[in-house]
Amino acid sequence: MENKKPLSPHIQIYSWNISSLISISHRIAGVINLLIFTLICFWIGLLMLGESNYEYIKFFLQSYFGKFLILCLTWSFIFQILSEIRHLFWDFGYGFELITSKISGLFVIFGSFILTVLIYLIGKQII
Amino acid sequence: MVQINLPQNSKVQKGEYYKDKTGSKNIRKVNIYRWDPSSGKNPRIDTYEVDMDNCPSKVLDLLNKIKNEIDPSLAYRRSCAHGVCGSCAMNMDGKNGLACTKPHAEINGDINIYPLPHLKVEKDLIGDLSTLYKQYESIEPWLKTSAKVESKEILQSREDRSKLDGAYECIMCACCSTACPSYWWNGDKYLGPAVLLQAYRWIIDSRDEERKERLKKVADELKLYRCHTIMNCTNACPKGLNPAKAIASIKKMLATS
Repeated sequence: MENKKPLSPHIQIYSWNISSLISISHRIAGVINLLIFTLICFWIGLLMLGESNYEYIKFFLQSYFGKFLILCLTWSFIFQILSEIRHLFWDFGYGFELITSKISGLFVIFGSFILTVLIYLIGKQII
Repeated sequence: MVQINLPQNSKVQKGEYYKDKTGSKNIRKVNIYRWDPSSGKNPRIDTYEVDMDNCPSKVLDLLNKIKNEIDPSLAYRRSCAHGVCGSCAMNMDGKNGLACTKPHAEINGDINIYPLPHLKVEKDLIGDLSTLYKQYESIEPWLKTSAKVESKEILQSREDRSKLDGAYECIMCACCSTACPSYWWNGDKYLGPAVLLQAYRWIIDSRDEERKERLKKVADELKLYRCHTIMNCTNACPKGLNPAKAIASIKKMLATS
């Protein structure tokens, strides 16, 4: 009888809010960043093997897809840093009120996009 | 462990449809999770058309109306109907809360009612909270002193008493714990927001003499640090308390002691 009891629905039905959305995005961005930094290390490692390897990767990163990828990574890196700063405030015991956490959450989301655009423009030497 | 999909025996199926018989023009559809332990079938969602012209304002009133007038087999817990006992905690419109304090006018569209998330279902909207009660027992929620003679009351300053504000009001309805994804995945080991808020309540009580032991006991990778500040607990609490902040306070006490 004990095993026959069903499990009530959980993530399928629970509504999302800003905090939970950022929490899961923070984790995903963390995993992506970890992989990317490993790849960058490999890329630098490849330089030891000669010039042609560098050229090959440079060619890829200068394509439209490569550029798009770089922008995405810039975003995920900034997003994680901003979200981590939010966590730091929490660790000091600040910002737990519902309204504060909502505002800081929106700050993380919009901040990450604004900073990504800013870095893009700086990289393009537009500003 | 993270298990996104429901087990085979928990998959929800389409249930029966109860058409309105009153001829009312003000109708709302109410979808309710049903499971009958004697049927041996999977849970289902029954849909009721309810005449809203003759229904009081809260979700619990709605459930009472369905039980009294449409389908007497519907099972749910309720007692005080004033947000004090915590019996009627359930998931309404994707969010945990007390049916007796949640106005159905706040819900847009069809009204979806489920039991508290990620619990073993006893029947319909009734979930099994025995794990949570065992965890509550494990934090020893009573005053511990070395005083041998209990003839005098233990005095507490106004200031020390005010530290308990925001912790003593908890009614243990389990809305917060069952809203927490960490508690869904690790509910057997992680204590969850409701129990940790109570742990905090006894740790900061100036009359309690076992503060250190209490802190030591709760300082555990799984019991305490599975809280990743998702804030679903604080968002869900029908009494407006802040379990996330209490858990952070325990973490801070451990880090600074």
